Amino acid sequence: MSHRMDRRTFLRGAAGVSVALPVLECMLDNHGVALANTGDVPCRYAIVFAGQALGGDNWEKNGQRVGGKYFEEDGHFIRPAATGADYELTTPLMPVADLRDDFSVVSNMAIPWNASSVDGSAVPAGGAFRDFHGGGASPLLSGTRSNTYNFASNGITSDQVLAQNNPGSLYDSLVLRAQPSWYLGGSSYSGRQYLSYTGAGAPVEAQTSPQTAFMTLFGNFTPDNAEDAARLDFELRGRRSVLDLVTSKRQAILGKVGNADRIRLERHFDELRELELRISGIDPDVAACQVPDDPGSDPSIGGDNAGQGSSDIDTNTGYSGEDERARTMVDLIHMAFVCDLTRVATLQISVFQSHMNVYQVSSDLGMPIRADLHEVGHNGDQETNGQLPVSTMLGWHIDIWGDLVRKLRDTPEGDGNVLDNSAIVFMTEAGHGLQLNDGVSPNATHSVEEMVQLVAGRSGGLQPGRHIDAGGAHPAQNLISCMQAVGHDGDTLGEVSGRIDALFEA
Amino acid sequence: MLKPKYVIVGASLLFAGCYDGATMADGATDGGTGAEAGSGDPTEGGESGGEDPPAEANLVPQSVSRRLSQAELDNTLRDLMGDDTRPARGFLSEDEFAPYDNDYGLQVASRALIESMEVLAIDVANRLVQDPTRRDLVVPCTPTTDDDAACFDDFVRSFGRLALRRPLTDEEVGAYSVFLPFATEDVPGLDNDFYTAVALAVSAFVQDPEFLYRIEAGVPTTEPGVFKLNDYEIATRVAFLLWGTGPDDALIADAEAGRLSDLTDRTDIIDRLLIDDRAKEQLHRYHAMWLGYRAIPHEAALIEAFNAETTALIDRVVFDDRDNYSALFTAEETYIDAFLAEHYGLDAPAAGEDWVSYGPDRAGILSHGSVLAGFSKFTDTSPTQRGIFIAERLRCNEIPAPPPTVDADNPPGNADDPNACKEDRYGIHAEIASCAACHNLMDPIGMGLENYDIAGRYRETDDGKPDCEISGEGALPGVGSFSGPGALADRLVESGELERCATEQYLQFALGRDLEDDDPLLEHVAADFEATDYDFQQMISNLASHDAFGFRREPSN
Repeated sequence: MSHRMDRRTFLRGAAGVSVALPVLECMLDNHGVALANTGDVPCRYAIVFAGQALGGDNWEKNGQRVGGKYFEEDGHFIRPAATGADYELTTPLMPVADLRDDFSVVSNMAIPWNASSVDGSAVPAGGAFRDFHGGGASPLLSGTRSNTYNFASNGITSDQVLAQNNPGSLYDSLVLRAQPSWYLGGSSYSGRQYLSYTGAGAPVEAQTSPQTAFMTLFGNFTPDNAEDAARLDFELRGRRSVLDLVTSKRQAILGKVGNADRIRLERHFDELRELELRISGIDPDVAACQVPDDPGSDPSIGGDNAGQGSSDIDTNTGYSGEDERARTMVDLIHMAFVCDLTRVATLQISVFQSHMNVYQVSSDLGMPIRADLHEVGHNGDQETNGQLPVSTMLGWHIDIWGDLVRKLRDTPEGDGNVLDNSAIVFMTEAGHGLQLNDGVSPNATHSVEEMVQLVAGRSGGLQPGRHIDAGGAHPAQNLISCMQAVGHDGDTLGEVSGRIDALFEA
Repeated sequence: MLKPKYVIVGASLLFAGCYDGATMADGATDGGTGAEAGSGDPTEGGESGGEDPPAEANLVPQSVSRRLSQAELDNTLRDLMGDDTRPARGFLSEDEFAPYDNDYGLQVASRALIESMEVLAIDVANRLVQDPTRRDLVVPCTPTTDDDAACFDDFVRSFGRLALRRPLTDEEVGAYSVFLPFATEDVPGLDNDFYTAVALAVSAFVQDPEFLYRIEAGVPTTEPGVFKLNDYEIATRVAFLLWGTGPDDALIADAEAGRLSDLTDRTDIIDRLLIDDRAKEQLHRYHAMWLGYRAIPHEAALIEAFNAETTALIDRVVFDDRDNYSALFTAEETYIDAFLAEHYGLDAPAAGEDWVSYGPDRAGILSHGSVLAGFSKFTDTSPTQRGIFIAERLRCNEIPAPPPTVDADNPPGNADDPNACKEDRYGIHAEIASCAACHNLMDPIGMGLENYDIAGRYRETDDGKPDCEISGEGALPGVGSFSGPGALADRLVESGELERCATEQYLQFALGRDLEDDDPLLEHVAADFEATDYDFQQMISNLASHDAFGFRREPSN
């Protein structure tokens, strides 16, 4: 514990004022047993995001064409037929079959939209602007209505609400993204790369390098070996000395530039100062806390997506090893939670409207798809389209989320495990229903209807293991439920209020 | 698919009214970044007194301190310490291309950026000191002891001068001596030495905001809001504009001698910079972003061949022949090798690679596989996307986003109908009045290029549909009909819009932002471009050597 930074110290350094931390309700585990000798068991909250829809455009649920053959088969839409505990696992859920008692499927959620007007001023509270993709992002992430097609949140996102009151010892939140490139040469992310916002139009830039994330999270852990510890101390003093010199230029630089620059550069210097404060040896007093394996160099960043315009998309272009990147990031989130470096995390596996080439990932899963993720939802490749390829890629994302859930479940804490003190959400960009754009086409991927999210964990009395029909609830209500499960004492997110009670009922 | 680029506040909205959709002209900025440039206080420049403003003060554009783009950072690290591993590409979050990578309104400092920069700085510093060859290039002396303070100061002075693009004061040099004790501290198992301190200093320089940003302060002039830049600030501006990297030793020496603020001297200096290969690389990079081929969906060997073809044409028109810039679009020859000749179906050059005649129909850069590869969709060319490309990037006409009720992520017409031909499917746009108003501004352009696939090969029929003959008949709206890239280039030249739009695009790149209140500057540069018979290199040179280029205007909003 010797070098561990007091989180209140950190907050004072960051904000310049002392922040009173509310006591969050993770003091009891789900067995009702007061946990851990310290009495202070952190609650963890994470969102794992997939930039895709739940079904194939213009395909009935369970309809598909694979290898050029049309067929129908039950059970491929993510939403199970039965509710309750005895539902039959659907194809995208197969990778997490072993976890079925640890998560619930929350289905039949929808973001409201105005069926009679496409005007930006006519969007209902918490609603979507009638233009997918961008029009659905703000209500999905923040429960706040969207007024344009832009990818932007008009309010603070759930993770950042929690981050304000529930910081870990190192970070208030950990924001990661596995897809490191937009992949299209003629355009740019334009906001599709953001999942976390501290407020309207204030995105949190994600860390996209697993190697850098590893170093910033675990590079300061004090080794057991005295000689190694001395070397680390030397290294940390060097880094602090460097940043001390750099930040000492603050007044000289800010004093000579114009007002616009002063604002830009102040922000830069503020971030430098926060980094300097974080450079300190860490020695968490948690038995299960171990430094993960060094992931080494990042997989190289693939070039432009060969799927945008080419029919022979089978190379590594448009793909940067997202599978490896995401699974490394899961390892980092897992240990960051265990070691209490942070209590809040988001992982954007693929960006909104993702043009990641899926050929390699889908091939590894036995269903080669010569398309990018976006086209998988719409037109697939010429031979393979519809629900099954969509479910294959959905299953890949869910498997990564499952990795996190599994690791948390398998890590003991108190009388139970870390998952008992967590709420881990899996979220997709779209549902599969009435098209948001034209308002009439059924079975559309451009839909904010029939949305499904997964919730793992038992924090705050969550009762996993079931398929819950949310009866048309707003997806933000699922987030509110999970926020409350980790101790948040509010009942709203943006313009949406109320939790989904069934998540807490056996 | 993607929406066309957002509408620019204050820019001409030539076609904003082509349909009755709601909210399209609402000045939407780039989605989701929340970043607004120019949030400064107008009173900042209100101080009176001081230097004389330039004679044409209305040509001084608004500017702030710009952060190096990833490419600029990688170029700078390469030139500063011989590091050609492109560390920024690997460590930093990808730049937004809007369509240029340097839009300062999108550059917002973040924890991710700062942490990544620290990791990057440590990485490049450690690799530098582990490589004796590169290390000795930046350390101008041989240390006699691990704590050789004189040698360390020499290093800090020479390296810092290049890194911060100005000489350091003695006091500043002295501040880096805090790293020297790290060279001699006794740490068991650690082989620290003089170069340990060097690495810490390098890390400090790379993380220095004065390195990462091109900080421009200047001194007030009698014109409110207009500041006169010093020689180092001008040198930095010139270097990043012409080279995409920081000033070299000679350019800093020029600044020390006060030669950047002397307009005659500055012109000579610019001539020197323009014959350096970095000037070529910079314009290759610019054109690739402008014309959308910076990354294209083809195999590496083909991309490499396309790149050689396209850069050869740029070099010929802009640097070697200093031809009328329209030759970039109308050139009747192209530079290819046997591989690319076979790809295009052209005669192979007698030598290994050489200029060959196109023959009819093809001409200039619009016939290159590089450019024809961009803006495709649904695994094929997109007449609509190609039309948007020509309209927005070569005529500077903004095409509004489709109305929200349109799902542009599915192809028009019935794509699944095995008998449906592409021209008929896209023809639906023209038959429905609400679609036609806008699509008539785009589709006819793309239709005239339909005989050329996404790899630039000529085709008679739709891919995979031998019964679907491609007419290849198109039109540049308001100008005239054409078929093929050669005739399109002719129509573009006839329109009289091409050169002016090229000027506008280059200025956007040069200023690092969308043009706003920049009409006087645009008019000036466009007129100058015309006066040089459209000598692109001269236009750039004249821009950088103009009196107003040595000033900045504080953002007023």
